[in-house]
Amino acid sequence: MTVDQIREKYISKKYEVKQDGNVLSFQVPPEDIISVCRQLYFHPSLQLKTITATDERKAGIGFRILYAFGVPKENIFLVPFIVLNGKEEFPSLTRAIHEASIYERKIRSLFGLEPVGHPNPRPLLLHENWPSNIFPLRKDFHWQERPAEANGTYEFRKVEGEGVYEIPVGPVHAGIIEPGHFRFSVAGEEIVLLEARLGFTHKGTEKLFEVFPLGEKVTLSERVSGDSSFTHSMAFCQALENLSEIEIPKRANYVRVIFSELERLANHCNDVGFIMLDTGYSFGGTHGARLREMIMQWNERLAGSRFLRGLNCIGGITRDISDEMCGELRSALTTMRKDFSEMIEISEDSSTMLNRLEGTGKLDRQIAADHGIIGIAGRSVGLEHDARKEYPYAAYNNFDFEIAMENAGDVRARFNVRVKEIHSSFEILDQALRSMPSVKDIAADKKVEFRKNSCAVGVAEAWRGDVVYFVVTDADGKISRVDVRDPSFLNWHVLGHAGNGNVVPDFPLINKSFNLSYSGYDV
Amino acid sequence: MIITLWIIQLTLIPAFSPLFLGIVRKIKAKFQNRTGASIFQPYRDIGKLFRKDEVISEDASWIFRFAPYLIFAVTISIGGSIPLFTTTFADTLFNDWLVVVYLLAFSTFFLALAGMDAGSAFGGFGSSREMTLAALTEGGLLFSVLVLAFLAHSTNLFTIADTLSSLPLFSFAPVLFAFAAFLIALLAETGRFPFDNPSTHLELTMIHEAMVLEYSGKRLALLEWSAANKFLIFLSLGANIFFPWGIAFTTDLADIFLALILFFAKVGILCLFVAVLESSIAKLRFFRLPDLLFTSFILSIIAIGLIL
Repeated sequence: MTVDQIREKYISKKYEVKQDGNVLSFQVPPEDIISVCRQLYFHPSLQLKTITATDERKAGIGFRILYAFGVPKENIFLVPFIVLNGKEEFPSLTRAIHEASIYERKIRSLFGLEPVGHPNPRPLLLHENWPSNIFPLRKDFHWQERPAEANGTYEFRKVEGEGVYEIPVGPVHAGIIEPGHFRFSVAGEEIVLLEARLGFTHKGTEKLFEVFPLGEKVTLSERVSGDSSFTHSMAFCQALENLSEIEIPKRANYVRVIFSELERLANHCNDVGFIMLDTGYSFGGTHGARLREMIMQWNERLAGSRFLRGLNCIGGITRDISDEMCGELRSALTTMRKDFSEMIEISEDSSTMLNRLEGTGKLDRQIAADHGIIGIAGRSVGLEHDARKEYPYAAYNNFDFEIAMENAGDVRARFNVRVKEIHSSFEILDQALRSMPSVKDIAADKKVEFRKNSCAVGVAEAWRGDVVYFVVTDADGKISRVDVRDPSFLNWHVLGHAGNGNVVPDFPLINKSFNLSYSGYDV
Repeated sequence: MIITLWIIQLTLIPAFSPLFLGIVRKIKAKFQNRTGASIFQPYRDIGKLFRKDEVISEDASWIFRFAPYLIFAVTISIGGSIPLFTTTFADTLFNDWLVVVYLLAFSTFFLALAGMDAGSAFGGFGSSREMTLAALTEGGLLFSVLVLAFLAHSTNLFTIADTLSSLPLFSFAPVLFAFAAFLIALLAETGRFPFDNPSTHLELTMIHEAMVLEYSGKRLALLEWSAANKFLIFLSLGANIFFPWGIAFTTDLADIFLALILFFAKVGILCLFVAVLESSIAKLRFFRLPDLLFTSFILSIIAIGLIL
């Protein structure tokens, strides 16, 4: 479809549409926004990618709320937006589209704009010691300001009844993992209610994006969620490349595919191992960790960084993979794939292990769909979304692979999705390494200049699900707002649903099968 | 001579229990392609804990302070009163199987109380799970050795060992059933797979570890040591009650020496079994554990049926 056809198909003629790279934005009067979003979300069923706000009071515009919808296959994003003229409230979309809830709560906490009609506008991300009248993402808040402690209290949901008791877990855990607090309400061993309380690693990343110089912004994006460093910086660079119409050399696109698949492989192998280890099946655990380590060592060799940092730059990549290396990597991957298949074959013979996975932590498909669940968790209940297919970026269009799908929604399904994706990653890597374009350039040799008063979306499929960056520029062509949406931001909200009704000793296994990022959620 | 034997009998369990724990861990490490820590690591761990300072919750009562000593004392006295390498001490301490079982239950009871004492959520969790399992294990554990008691017409462990060592091979079938039942109970009582994962760091899945989570320093060292003792006590019972060949019936030096070597060999084989089992299966879901414990009980009943 051409852009005009898309405009014709999705956007009512009465709105004036502006095209900025991959974004079609149009202003909607606040009273119409619910019906416009509803139309886009339900009728052609476009995916809601993010809802974010900008503070443009200095430019005389006021606050803007932007809603980004993705048009699959076209790599085009429709962005209806509303402008709040002097007001500090906007109509809430949550009653029409449930997944909007979390975005609106984030806007309420960080911008201080009230979603009118939101059924449950609790604060998000900010600790109760943060004063409730200071909003960090407003432009008049200086990033180094330290407000006085507010000493608020956090109210957990309460379950009452005979024999029901609460178990507080975290935020400090016994293993070396990120901080998060879980409050279990338990009757005997059965989980009645599970509430996850996050925000302990809130780093003010989105504010820092506005402050840091351009080069460090890319570095910052690598730090949003450590195990997805490469995909995060790739999504961010893609957004910036869309903003500046820079041409990326073909070879750089291939190198980006290779590194992002290596990242996926390393993390999936680790997770497959850890899921088995959490059932106490040490054979699988050891070999999962071993395969991950082999890939990490390859990362170190190829990129000089085990976590693939410092590779993405605006317009390409900083480090090439030489042709000899490609050959060596290919044969190493063939061996790893053989090892992996063997390991899975042996593990799937263990009935005690499989019994622990089956039926545990079942996620309901409707709940998942309502929360906009993406990535592994979404694909394990049959929600077929994969940014590599839907918004083909880098060189993904050139490769042949399937989206890994399962339907059961239990730990076993999430385990299987990972196993399938490991196989497809091996396939993509093999195809990419065989067909690397033999050009020298790996980065565009051009001064980066961004369009003024514009915006762009960058999407990339990290191993947990798609990462979305929404970047806005001001009248000088400077980046004035970066919105980061890690897959964990959505997926954390169904962990409780998946945990309910299970026994407490199974919870670590369920949690591991999601393996969500705290840092990515807390930004 | 008797005094030397007494000293060996009393110190054998506490002196060697960390070693066998280390051996199990080493074998498991080998199965996981790891080098693993030295087999003497448990000694170092216990030694380290003895030198460390303790933190005791303000809410803890005397039970919390007292329980580790009691539990340790129970394992030492049981260690001194079961057949290890000689039958010389047939009528000294607690030689009766029923006394042994309920002494162990007594220590489990205090451990569970101590787990709840400090008021932390995990301790209560561990205690509740431990008591559930302990109650279900009791049947299998008690009856598996009662099978042998039927054969020996006595519940004295030394008499049982004596009878079994002269039992003709063809009448061994019920003993094997009873041994299978005992093995299941052993795994449950000592917190091994598929009941509990002794090396887990996941608080929510723990049983034994959850109960001792509040302990530190010297008392933790005592509890760790007691757990190792309990493990070796069960291995020794498995090795010496069910297969008592080689136990010295005289105080002859050569006999005693041979008996000690055979004791280590038999216990070593059981260690290998535990390690192989832990390396090859996953932990069972908590609510499936009663099935397994019930199997243990049924096996014992079948064995008794075979005798009568």
